[in-house]
Amino acid sequence: MANFWQQVVSGLATGGIYASLALALVIVYRSTGVINFAQGEMATFATFLAWTFVDHGISFWPAFALTLAAAFAGGVALERVVIRPVQGRSVLTAVIVTIGLLILINGATQWIWGGAVRKFPSPFSTRPIHVGSAAFSIQDIGIVGVSVAAVALLTVLFRFTKVGLGLRAAAVNPDESRLVGVPVGWMLALGWGLASALGAVSGMMVAPIVFLDPNMMQGVLLYAFAAAVLGGLSSPVGAVVGGLSLGVFLNLLGTYWSTFSGDMRLVGGLAVILVVLLVRPAGLFGRPAVRRV
Amino acid sequence: MTRAVLIAAALLGAASVAGAAPTATPGVTSNSILVGGTIPLTGEAASAAGVARGADAYFKYVNARGGVFGRKITYKYLDDGYEPQRTFLAARQLVQQDNVFAIFNSLGTSNNVAIRGFLNQAGVPQLFVASGASTFGRDYKKYPWTIGFIPTYSAEGKVYARYLLKTKPKAKIAVLYQDDQYGKELVAGLQVGLGAKKSLIVKKVGYDPTASDVRSEVASLKASNAKVFMIFAFGKFSVQAFITANQLGWHPQIVVNDVAAATSLMQLSPTKATEGAISIVFGKDPDSPKWKNDKGMKLFQTVMKRYAAGQNPNGYYAAGMASAYTFVDTLRKAGKNLTRKGVLNAATHLNEKNNPFVLPGIRIHTTPSYRFPISQVRLERWHKDHWVIFGPLLAAKP
Amino acid sequence: MSRVGLALRAAAFVAAAVVVALAPRFISSYHALEWSQVAIYFVALIGLNVLTGYSGQVSLGHGAFMAIGGYTSAILIAHHHVHDVWTIPLAGLVAGGVGLAFGLPALRLTGLYLALATFAVAVAFPPLVRKFDHFTGGNQGLILNLHTNDWLYYLSWSIAGGALLVGWLVLATPIGRSFRALRDSEVAAVSFGVSPALYKTLAFGISSFFAGVAGSLFAISSAYVNPETFPITLSLFLVVGLAVGGLGSLPGGVVGAILIQFLPTYAQHVSKQAPQVIEGAILVGVMLLLPGGAAGLLRIAANRSVVHSSQQS
Repeated sequence: MANFWQQVVSGLATGGIYASLALALVIVYRSTGVINFAQGEMATFATFLAWTFVDHGISFWPAFALTLAAAFAGGVALERVVIRPVQGRSVLTAVIVTIGLLILINGATQWIWGGAVRKFPSPFSTRPIHVGSAAFSIQDIGIVGVSVAAVALLTVLFRFTKVGLGLRAAAVNPDESRLVGVPVGWMLALGWGLASALGAVSGMMVAPIVFLDPNMMQGVLLYAFAAAVLGGLSSPVGAVVGGLSLGVFLNLLGTYWSTFSGDMRLVGGLAVILVVLLVRPAGLFGRPAVRRV
Repeated sequence: MTRAVLIAAALLGAASVAGAAPTATPGVTSNSILVGGTIPLTGEAASAAGVARGADAYFKYVNARGGVFGRKITYKYLDDGYEPQRTFLAARQLVQQDNVFAIFNSLGTSNNVAIRGFLNQAGVPQLFVASGASTFGRDYKKYPWTIGFIPTYSAEGKVYARYLLKTKPKAKIAVLYQDDQYGKELVAGLQVGLGAKKSLIVKKVGYDPTASDVRSEVASLKASNAKVFMIFAFGKFSVQAFITANQLGWHPQIVVNDVAAATSLMQLSPTKATEGAISIVFGKDPDSPKWKNDKGMKLFQTVMKRYAAGQNPNGYYAAGMASAYTFVDTLRKAGKNLTRKGVLNAATHLNEKNNPFVLPGIRIHTTPSYRFPISQVRLERWHKDHWVIFGPLLAAKP
Repeated sequence: MSRVGLALRAAAFVAAAVVVALAPRFISSYHALEWSQVAIYFVALIGLNVLTGYSGQVSLGHGAFMAIGGYTSAILIAHHHVHDVWTIPLAGLVAGGVGLAFGLPALRLTGLYLALATFAVAVAFPPLVRKFDHFTGGNQGLILNLHTNDWLYYLSWSIAGGALLVGWLVLATPIGRSFRALRDSEVAAVSFGVSPALYKTLAFGISSFFAGVAGSLFAISSAYVNPETFPITLSLFLVVGLAVGGLGSLPGGVVGAILIQFLPTYAQHVSKQAPQVIEGAILVGVMLLLPGGAAGLLRIAANRSVVHSSQQS
């Protein structure tokens, strides 16, 4: 029984990691209709930037802010230069482009910083806190907290601000939005910039735990996809709920059904994706898409 | 027009003839020896690249002193990104295109398994494989051209078992292991070494080398309340294991396997997590203060400074140099008339007592039916930020 | 296709076949091995093109079908001592069968969702291989006692030539037309009586048959398989090769295959990490600037010369 609660708690902590990257995926999808396969690599690149800032003597929070700004700018630039030209074209084109970005950015990260494992500072204490027989740390709470805070901020942005309205309009109906004066182009770029910044946050929270190396996010990406699909690809709240539940679910699955321990958890993640896509593609919180013929 | 065709035909003819005739001993001329190898220069295992670079630096040092019987050694090592498929292609290129004399110091268990069949078929020596899998020394009847170098993983597991039986004979043991040939062999060695007391292992959990973290695995090991925690892992996973155990408030006696115990890795964890951890050692660690004034270590630093300037002289480089030293020794024993058969014969009759890069007292020793060059180790304990060797030289036979 | 077009195609095919057949005389054993790998990727790309280029279904997991074929061959050779060549069609059939089985539920997934699902399959495949280690040898993999000679080159290229012919044939039939109709507009196709279920599933089956054959050749040529032999990067690079060769052009796959095989080697001269950066840049660049890939480039060039000559006359 002790192990059960420990696994739940650890699962929430791991799930927080999935949630933060899933959030970035959802923002991109919601604003530009693209699934960005390169989201993880962008997050890793941004985290390496943060590491470089810290390595040059800048203290953590200023480095954090600088990285967010750089990631935002990078996301905007990528959208305008690489995604915009293929916006109207087929699904396949967009997929191939983001795959290309995945390969390119991963290669660039290795080229610039090399493959060695690095330590990344954590702003939160890692001292263990014991509740009953389960142990966790402020860092674990911090990760979940940051994801929840991000969702709250995004929800406020989308629902209560003009910019948020513009973002939603541009995604749902670009042509009509243009007619009403929404700068659709910039809205799309904004979406990517936001997602890129979110990805950077995700990377900077994950790195203290899994250590920084160019392939850091590859282990997380599939689970982030599963979380986003589970929660609903167009729902930020869904991404966080999906991530947290997925973390707990996979931990418990692995503990109590030994077939799914170790790397078979990936198969668990695959199963979640397949089942959700086949049974209820909109996920828990998404709205089912209606295709007009 | 006709002239051009005739010249082209002549060139083609010459090319096919040149390609067809093999040299007496491939890779060997009167003043050079071409040796090939594969190593991960990129990818997840790129931190181990020093193994090849250290060996390369040592060869350059030897060459500057006239080489071996007047032959300078050229070590051509190709990047395989730790992927066996690429190792296979690289080995084919080295043997069929570059005509290397032998393959030396290739890194990776499955990587070497992938090329072993081809190399043995082609009669190319696969010397001093940089992997502790016991198959490289054990299956010589099927693969006579192959030989390993470092103590095997199963021997390592047995050493830990013997130490635990002696110092903590009743303690329950929890094991975290990488779920591949490397990790499983360590576990098997531990189990064999414990013998009748095998049941002391109360829980063992494997993890996938492509996972992002092992926290859940460590948490479930902690739940077993074991007093001993074996970390049979690789790279960042061992660091995570240390840190997670510490964060969960679990402070068992930790035993970490040699490959995961590199000083640079250990230093990534806070001292509270790592203090007192045990591992084995057989080479001189450049990061240990013990060898500061040691002759062999001074040689290491000299060679690094002159032939690998600007690179970080860590344990991987030292390991590579140790291998290279033995290889040069082997070439000398093979004699002036250097053939592949001769070098294999020399490699299976080693009796080297003065390798400056391994622990004093270690005898690098092989016979045609005992192909485990290094089979002695010592134990070490982590203290603050470095390893401290303790105890006598121990046997580490597979 | 017009008579002239058909004749031109046939002539090009024969010419290419002659070059391929004679090449080993002039190149080293190692180069022959490299070119036989090109043939293997070409076979996989033909399959992927049928699926993605012609029936419009995105698959980011074709490496998994190659793995199924490769492991089928390996298991048959290692455990059951079947002669290597006979395992090739068997591997293709097994992979094709799995593809058909996958194609059915995949019908409910469109575009992005299918890409996501196939990506997940490719990522989750190595763990499955490791799990069933009784058959697959787990992490240790399976070692095959084969003698690799130059005949592998001829075998791979013969199969590649055959695959191209079969691919052309299938696409020339009503099946091919149905594929194209589904790709261009599923709704319109349905209203014309084309059954998406039948044809999309068939496309999956055919393309994974090709992938299985390619995987089988892959296993035979390396005489060794383990879970890392078919990683997710293989699936991604197949997509790269597909895009570069040209979606909807089967022969274009050769260009894609050459890229996959040789780019890593030659780009390494620039820098050790350069191959990835260059591959990624090429992929992005091709989709932005030259969506038709190499085949598209040829088509543009051919059209220009036609226009040019018609302007002259």
